[in-house]
Order: sequence, then structure tokens, then C-alpha cells
Amino acid sequence: MTAMSPVQRIAEGLIRVSSGRLPDEQRAERCREWSAELPAILADETIHPKLMRSVRALSYSAGIAATAGQLGRAARSPGRAAAAGWRDGAVSRGPGNLAVRATIGLACWLVIVFTTVSLIRAFPHPHGWPVGLGLGLAAGFVVWCLADIVRAPAVRYLPKWVWALICVIQIPLGGIIYLSIGRVSRRHWMRPGSAQSP
Amino acid sequence: MCRLRFVKLTGPLERVLRVLTTDPSARHYGYDLMKAAKLPSGTLYPMLARLEQDGLVEAEWEAPRPDAGGRPPRKYYRLTAEGARVARLELAQAAADGRRTAPGAARPAHGSTQ
Repeated sequence: MTAMSPVQRIAEGLIRVSSGRLPDEQRAERCREWSAELPAILADETIHPKLMRSVRALSYSAGIAATAGQLGRAARSPGRAAAAGWRDGAVSRGPGNLAVRATIGLACWLVIVFTTVSLIRAFPHPHGWPVGLGLGLAAGFVVWCLADIVRAPAVRYLPKWVWALICVIQIPLGGIIYLSIGRVSRRHWMRPGSAQSP
Repeated sequence: MCRLRFVKLTGPLERVLRVLTTDPSARHYGYDLMKAAKLPSGTLYPMLARLEQDGLVEAEWEAPRPDAGGRPPRKYYRLTAEGARVARLELAQAAADGRRTAPGAARPAHGSTQ
């Protein structure tokens, strides 16, 4: 047995704790399966520099925590799990047409430029506590939007990084645009699509 | 088969199926699939669990090997026969959809006089 690195020990600990969310009969096996991947990640020659391997191993464990949460929930509410098929997470990303995407991208950009310019003209000298409060709320909103983009399995029309950019460039309007156009609702991606008779 | 309907096949699932169908008899362990499909573990494993539950993918434990150097045995995934069939159909369907929605590409239907 080779000695375990501290990172591996931490990652394994995370996996063990996350596996606690699984039903009893799955726990031990899943825990073994997921822990067995860690040596491969930590010895992955294709990841440079070496420090990134540790980062990868830890982010892997974080993903496992999310997985265990999902599987645990599915096991606890079998009704919902039965309704969900293997296409879970498969989401229609909206029209794949380049023209549609380009139009949406351009429209977002125009709206952002216009609002930014108007806001700058309307409030030339912002000061006082309302500004601080507004900034705090805005920062929270942006972080929330970004987290939503990262966690969603898919977003509509534009790539994830473009939506993230839109959210950051124009606060809070970018986030609002994302939520109304780009976001795919949780309910939608937890369920397989509306069935048509084959 | 009633599985082959509705929602468009998208990103993550499509990538996993593509990797698995490259060589349907090949066995993949989780990290291998993560790298090949470029997916994070939090996306890949729930998907594998569902595919397995629906009998499209099967998993088996690697037999303990003396030359593994103390490495714990891994769990390997592979498409079932049914899975390979469904995956091929799905990917073909996705490719057809992609062509149809590609910019400027009129739908080249067989026998159409367009």
C-alpha cells in the first residue's frame, strides 16, 4: 500500500461524507467506486502543473457530493425518479439556428449598451448608503446568476460563457435577461420532455 | 421503442454516448469517461446511474490485480446491446437535427425535388 497524500485523504473524506446521503444499500459500493478514481486523477500525467491534479481531485469530490445528493433524493422519492428517464439533464437548447442566436446575442448587447449609457447619464455622482446597499444587492444577484449558470446542465441560445459575461457586464440587467431568456427551469430539466406518441 | 422520442439530445448526454459508441465493447471507468467526454463528475455520474438503471449501460467491478500496485479495483462501464442500439439511433437523430437547423442549409430530403 502506498502512502496516501493529504489531498487524497481529504478527497476521500469528502466522498465518504457525501455517500452518507445515499440509501444504505448503495452507500458502500458507490463510496468504493468513487474513491477508486482518486489515484487515477492524482497520477494523471496530462494535468500540469502538478498542483492542478489536487485541484482536480477536490473538484471531483465536490461533483461527487452533488451526485450523491441527486441520487439520494431520487431514491427517497421513487415517484419522481420513476417519472424521470435516462434523458434527465437532456434539455432542448432552443433553436440551433445561428441567425436566431446571433440576433439574441446582438439584442442583449444593444440593450446593455443603451442602459449603461442612460444610467451613467442619469446618475453622474452616486453617493451615500443607498449606493452601498445597492452594490451589495447587485453583487449578490450577480453571484447567484453565475452560480445558476455554472450549475445548470444547459442554457438556451448562447454558450454558458457568453451568458456569464452578459450577467457581469450589465448589473443587474444582464442577470435579468439571462433569467428570462437563457435559463432553463429546474422543473424542465428534471423531467423528460413532453411525450409524443411514437 | 418508446424511448426514442421527444427532446433533442443535447450536450452532456450526447458527448457521453459519443464516447461510449466509439467502441461499444470497450470498458470505461469514471475518470476516463470524464476526460473523454470533458464532463465534470457532478454531471457524469448521475447520468451514468440513470443509464444503468434503464439498462442502457452495464457496470462491472475490475477483478483485483496483483500488478495494480495497491490501487483499489475500479468499476467499469460499458454499453449494453440495447444501449448501443439506442445510442446509435439517438446520435444519428441528433446529427440529422443539427443538419436541419444549420444556417442556410435547406433540408435535403431524399427524393425531394426542391
